[in-house]
Amino acid sequence: MSGVSIIWQGCKLNGSHDKPSPWGLRGESFRFYSNQTNHNNPPKTIHHKKGAPPAHSVPGANITMTNRERALNILHYKPYDRMPAVHFGYWPELLYEWAEQGKIPLALAQSWGDGNAADEELDRLIGWDFNWYRTAGAHTGLLPGFEHKVLEVLPDGTRRVQNGDGLIEKIRPGVTSIPSEDDYLLKDRAAFEELYKPKMQFSPARINYEYFKNFNETRRYDVPVGLHLGSVLGSIRSMVSVVGMSYLIYDEDEELFADIVDTFAEMQYQCAEEILATGAKFDFAHYWEDICYNSGPLLSPEIFNELCAKHYKKRNDLCHKYGIDIISLDCDGVTEKLLPTWYENGINTMFPIEIGTWGDQFEAARNKFGTGMRGVGGMDKTVLRRDKAAVDRELVRLRRLSALGGFIPCPDHRLMPGTKFELVQYYAEEIKKIK
Amino acid sequence: MNTELLNEISEKLQRGKAKDVSALVNQALEEGIAPDVILNDALVVGMNIVGEKFRSNEVFVPEVLVAARAMNAGLKILNPVLADAGVEPIGTAVICTVKGDMHDIGKNLVRMMIEGQGIKCVDLGVDAAPEAVVAAVKENNAQLVCLSALLTTTMGGQRDVIEALCEAGIRDTVRVMVGGAPVTKEWADDIGADCYTLDAASAAKEAKRLILEMKKG
Ligand code: B12
Repeated sequence: MSGVSIIWQGCKLNGSHDKPSPWGLRGESFRFYSNQTNHNNPPKTIHHKKGAPPAHSVPGANITMTNRERALNILHYKPYDRMPAVHFGYWPELLYEWAEQGKIPLALAQSWGDGNAADEELDRLIGWDFNWYRTAGAHTGLLPGFEHKVLEVLPDGTRRVQNGDGLIEKIRPGVTSIPSEDDYLLKDRAAFEELYKPKMQFSPARINYEYFKNFNETRRYDVPVGLHLGSVLGSIRSMVSVVGMSYLIYDEDEELFADIVDTFAEMQYQCAEEILATGAKFDFAHYWEDICYNSGPLLSPEIFNELCAKHYKKRNDLCHKYGIDIISLDCDGVTEKLLPTWYENGINTMFPIEIGTWGDQFEAARNKFGTGMRGVGGMDKTVLRRDKAAVDRELVRLRRLSALGGFIPCPDHRLMPGTKFELVQYYAEEIKKIK
Repeated sequence: MNTELLNEISEKLQRGKAKDVSALVNQALEEGIAPDVILNDALVVGMNIVGEKFRSNEVFVPEVLVAARAMNAGLKILNPVLADAGVEPIGTAVICTVKGDMHDIGKNLVRMMIEGQGIKCVDLGVDAAPEAVVAAVKENNAQLVCLSALLTTTMGGQRDVIEALCEAGIRDTVRVMVGGAPVTKEWADDIGADCYTLDAASAAKEAKRLILEMKKG
């Protein structure tokens, strides 16, 4: 059973590169799933403080701003006292590394999840202001999910497992990261109509109404909190793998893939509509897509535009109606070719920005779209594995980008193993000096 | 010779029409066209065009994957006939994604395009240990080793393979190509690889060049 009775707004971080979990989303909540739990593990309950924000007073300056005010002012080109030091979490392996080096208590490595108590404790130890990835949302996955079952155990101990998405994965002994894909169930019209379509429908069970009705009283106001909008294509891609998606796009039944996308997107729209109708107030909205790699999009921009543009527009128009004017998207690679579709349909913030071997993308996007395009990310986290001089060089670049406005530097995606604790502390301290 | 038919096979392959490719390859064989001609003048030509278009961003991963599926459909029919006719591959490559890394889409594209050059590929899959690469090189008398890595944390595995080849005393008998999202030319130089390319189509061209170079001695 896929957790119908679980409170969705909990934070769960397994799945494909930070995609929304089958139980919904991360962030502002009581229940968290650690990064290493798999879909079957029960949620842990971690309480953390909520409600009135402690305002940060700025020595020597006569403005006192919360991190939320700072961040939102930057993204709205308004005055701010200083840059907030923001991050996007850690690979679990890094936290264990730091625990082994005696830099952090092991308990923090064991219980870390975006925005939870352990995360906040780490913020304190390192000097971060906050983790940007603090969102709440509906259960936008398959409901109920497929039964998790071990299909086969291979001689080397590798298990072939069918996951909640109907994706068949090979889980090797001792490997904690996302397993490799082996096969998938969503192969044709019959599988879609019989197995998947019923699981892609809207139902009130997708939303924790109680939680969202009390949201404005219980949410934090010292940090930005977002509405997770799910994805348009990303979740489908992770149900069937990149290869499966490619085959479905070119299926003999030419309407099939579009039908899948439309069905899934419509349900996610309804989820957003229901949540916003409760009166819950958000500072931004966010999509997870992971649909790019280091040479561009994982599918043709024309096909992408044809399949997805209308869904982004509909969901983003809804957000605008409820006063949400910052809408971000996680792409995973070189975005240039898909940015026009995103931007023209209401996505105005790149988060994270992805600085891979191809270098900075934010400035190019800014040059192309003007101040309408904002960014949170774009920090080359690999310098945090090197030395102070490399961090200093990166800071020079980030200062220049920050001066463009509408940009908040943040390491792109999780900090990875090999990252030096002291360099992160140094970076967090220095980035706050940007004014 | 029926060049129209060969062109048609190539076109269907480019459009990812696997069933059509199978049917047309059978027809070509029935018409008496030599299997290596069907391979080189239809399948390889088609796949090369797809590779070039992929490189210049005219087509994207899905188009390459469906074309490769169509190529495989054709090869399934041709391979036994080629073997019977004694047509030899131009060389042998061992390909894998390195230890600790499960990403294989890029590696598979590279393999498909290298195969499209008439090179035999021994694919060790993902998470391949250096010792497994060394063993496969020896066993298959490979001239080329292709190593893919998608994670910053696993790219060191490419160096480990090169070191293992050195330790086994067979580094000079092979050329080593590296690639994958975090890999750069500088990294390739740094670890002593012979070649780096950004994409699969260039990888295939370089593979052919390196193998021919090795064969010339
Ligand atoms: C799809 C994907 C996955 C899929 C992989 C499915 C599969 N069967 O391969 C899944 C979901 C399983 C996955 C898992 C993970 N992933 Co992943 N993944 C991606 C993604 C989105 C696309 C990769 C891809 O398929 N690209 C398409 C192919 C065609 O491109 P390519 O592989 O780069 O190959 C081309 C070239 O590089 C070159 N090439 C490739 N190999 C070779 C070899 C040679 C010899 C040559 C010459 C050329 C060459 O030619 C290819 C074609 O032109 C990338 C994003 C990105 N920016 O790359 C992240 C990415 C690679 N993943 C990442 C991460 C972190 C992970 C996980 C650790 C996540 C987790 N929390 O567990 C796990 C790792 C599991 C493991 N141990 O390996 C990070 C890596 C970050 C880093 N700096 O190390 C990336 C960059 C995402 C990100 N932005 O953070 N991932």
